[in-house]
Amino acid sequence: MIRRYLRVVALVGVLAVVAAACGEEEAPPEATPGGQIQAGGVIKMGISADVDEAFDPAKEYSQISWSIYNCCLLRTLLQYNGLDAANGGSEVQPDLATDLPELSDDGLVYTFHIKDGVFFSPPFEDVEITSADFVRAIEREACTVCHEGGYAFYYTDSSTGDSLIEGIQEFAEGKADSISGVQTPDDKTLVITLTEPTGDFPLRMAMPAMAPIPEGAAEGHDKDYGRYLVASGPYMWEGSDQLDFSVPAKQQDPVSGYDPGRSWVLVRNPSWDPDTDDLRSAYLDGVEVSINESSDVNFNKWESGEIDYVYDGVPPAELLQQYSTDPELKDQLHVNPTDGLRYLSMNIAEPPFDDVHVRKAMNYVIDKDALRRARGGELYGGIAGHIIPDTILGGVLADYDPYASEGGQGDIEAAKEEMKQSKYDTDGDGVCDAPECKGVPLIADREDPYASQNAIIADNAANIGIDFKVSEGDRYTFMYEKCLDPAAHAAFCPSVGWFKDYGDAYTFGPPILGSVGIGPEGCCNYSLVGASPAVLRKDGYKVTSVPSLDDQMAECARLPLGDERTNCWADWDRTTMEEVVPFVPWIFDNEVRLAGPRIVNYTYSSNQGTMALQHVALAGGGA
Amino acid sequence: MTRYLVRRILFLILVLVFVSFLTFFIFLKLPASDPARLVAGRQTTPEILAEIRTNLGLDKPWYVQYGRFAKGLVPWPGFFLNEQVYYSYGNFIAVKEEIYRRLPVTIALTLGAAVLWLIIGLPIGIVSAIRKRSLADRAGMLFALFGVSAPVFWLGYVMLFVFWFKLGWAPSPGLDIKESLGHAILAGKFILPWVTLSLLFAAFYARMVRGTLIETMSEDYIRTARAKGLSERRVIFKHGLRAALTPVVTMFGLDVGSLLGGAIITETIFDLDGVGKYTIDAIYDQDFPVVMGVTIFAAFFIVVANLVVDVLYAVLDPRVRYT
Repeated sequence: MIRRYLRVVALVGVLAVVAAACGEEEAPPEATPGGQIQAGGVIKMGISADVDEAFDPAKEYSQISWSIYNCCLLRTLLQYNGLDAANGGSEVQPDLATDLPELSDDGLVYTFHIKDGVFFSPPFEDVEITSADFVRAIEREACTVCHEGGYAFYYTDSSTGDSLIEGIQEFAEGKADSISGVQTPDDKTLVITLTEPTGDFPLRMAMPAMAPIPEGAAEGHDKDYGRYLVASGPYMWEGSDQLDFSVPAKQQDPVSGYDPGRSWVLVRNPSWDPDTDDLRSAYLDGVEVSINESSDVNFNKWESGEIDYVYDGVPPAELLQQYSTDPELKDQLHVNPTDGLRYLSMNIAEPPFDDVHVRKAMNYVIDKDALRRARGGELYGGIAGHIIPDTILGGVLADYDPYASEGGQGDIEAAKEEMKQSKYDTDGDGVCDAPECKGVPLIADREDPYASQNAIIADNAANIGIDFKVSEGDRYTFMYEKCLDPAAHAAFCPSVGWFKDYGDAYTFGPPILGSVGIGPEGCCNYSLVGASPAVLRKDGYKVTSVPSLDDQMAECARLPLGDERTNCWADWDRTTMEEVVPFVPWIFDNEVRLAGPRIVNYTYSSNQGTMALQHVALAGGGA
Repeated sequence: MTRYLVRRILFLILVLVFVSFLTFFIFLKLPASDPARLVAGRQTTPEILAEIRTNLGLDKPWYVQYGRFAKGLVPWPGFFLNEQVYYSYGNFIAVKEEIYRRLPVTIALTLGAAVLWLIIGLPIGIVSAIRKRSLADRAGMLFALFGVSAPVFWLGYVMLFVFWFKLGWAPSPGLDIKESLGHAILAGKFILPWVTLSLLFAAFYARMVRGTLIETMSEDYIRTARAKGLSERRVIFKHGLRAALTPVVTMFGLDVGSLLGGAIITETIFDLDGVGKYTIDAIYDQDFPVVMGVTIFAAFFIVVANLVVDVLYAVLDPRVRYT
């Protein structure tokens, strides 16, 4: 394997010399490292599980499926360039739109102009993409069966509970034949009217559900459009040209390239015109992903050279050790931020965490570095001192950590000083002596590394007199059930995390700290920030009120994209960490991956949180 | 015989009803996640969950819900595992479609393993019975002890590690993209799964054949056959073995029938997309219609296999007559 890698490097080096000697300066593709790149070849990847919703873009709500859409299958009005944050990968750009949308002065009306000469994949290769095709996508967000499991709330729900896109709920309820807030004055213009200013709406139009759908393609496929997906990107499902939409939906054969539970095969979309697409290089001729049962099998196949890349799954510790320490192999190891936060959640209505000084003391006392080591070490992320990942806020809070300690290892003295101010420390020695600090329910995931981390947390908390009663169980049937239900009085839920849906802090705020996220039928506010007095009373809490961040979040959500919005969310983060303190944030998550020697021009997409297939190439064009 | 067959078919339906109701009851009453919650995805609201419950019929009384699934028990086109009810809550693919797509893999795995365990288990059992307490007998029973004791998952992973990962003698597990089942079999991808799956059964069969043959060879009619001057080979194979194989036939039918419902562990270890892997994935995902559908399908196979075995009994043993 090492010899094979060296041959690749030598080949690339020779090609570079030849290119330079020719005297014609052919600059590498913009913002992509690596020198000369040859198009061609089929990348082979392994994955340990199929997507959840059979690739229906209105339903799929996972990083992997969105990566395949963004890189390869679907274009949207706006999209990201597939690069990392340092190269503009977090900024949305025009894709099928000619430019960023025009916004009315009241912040309610978005106008998009659509590019000419962009066509769908076969069998719609003669159909040019028009504004009506986007209307179809929006209408699927109003169809419950069509969007089950997805994120329709980004288009249907305003802060008041009414429609966000004007008229979408009336359409959903069958009271209107069309969505009044979506207009198509002509084939190349789309006008969307909202009911309230929503500054990140352009980012929502970059999500896969907003990809255009040709007429007739989705009819009769409310539940399973993914298997009949018509592409607009540089790739399409193998066999797309065999799709026959002229017969009734039930008689149509699904596309052969997506074999549920077994494989994904993408081939070039002959309709894709690179002159219309500045965001995708599309060097590869195709993508083959085999779904193998376990991560171990995938990494064994990777080591033997059968596949080039394991699309999901963390490399085994031995492999990481080898590739992170061997200088000849290090280039194959790629570590990038995922814009995700892992944190320890405290129920601010449940003693002793109903006292802000106890919550601050916990922030001081936790050894975050030990938690990170239990997870696998420094490769897995940077110590987190606040809530919103730095890449989302453009580094505005990069140096902000109100509870900083040496190496993130905790500061017991500072924790005790904070605890002294708490009502639960009656003798002022910095150690909780009230009965509320004994047997505090800690509800956690039983799998590693959480099981190891629970022991570290319990040990740290004992320094300030908090004695946890640790209960571990299955993540889905035990942990989430208890942590999401206020009636369960789960005081401490440490095995939780949150990852962005798109590059705006709005995707962090309301779900994890908004009142809308409270309850067993909501998601995922475990700390009860913003819980109403009625909820507290109903679920048997002694406190009658808790702090709320709803108003501040609503204010930030209304602002248009730009510095004012970024600073608003930064202020929200500071308020949360200094005044409300519902969490102990401990790591900003990294993606750790190993690329096979055939892969050149490895590119990480900050938006997708994965390798950017739209920019990756294979050595020698895959020859 | 006709009346017997009709009775057995009615019994089949009764078994399917019982199994389906038990499965339905377990999923309804187990403290597992709300199916609507699983369908709703990461972020949800009470309103979305309510809509999903309505779409999936989960807001109906339990007996109405069961009634919808019960229609799928009728082994008749249009009813059996119908697509209106039996579809995955996850990807909305019809359960029947997935079962039929995966069945060839399970059949290939089962039949291959069955042939192998007969080839291994029967001769070992016969030799052990004929040469009681000899070295061959002890070696045979030691093999049987190992086969019965070694967990399938351990055996499978050891085989993969040694023969694929370390020695490179076996091809990698799972079918390659676009690889046909026939090609996979010819490429040797089923050898390790067959060996892994068959060892346990071969061990059981070896012990069973040894025991029944020893018992049969002490019968009076065997002594009569010897007294009449028949060769020992003829005595064993024509007279002794025929009677000793009756329980083997019974077990064989039941074992093959149950494996056709999916050899879960073997398929999972060797990444074979059969019915068993489909089942275990559905259990992990708490995808109830899939679990229900596969359970009914497996129960159907077992009962039918049982019926075939009983009919074969009558062929093997003329004393057996059904009315």
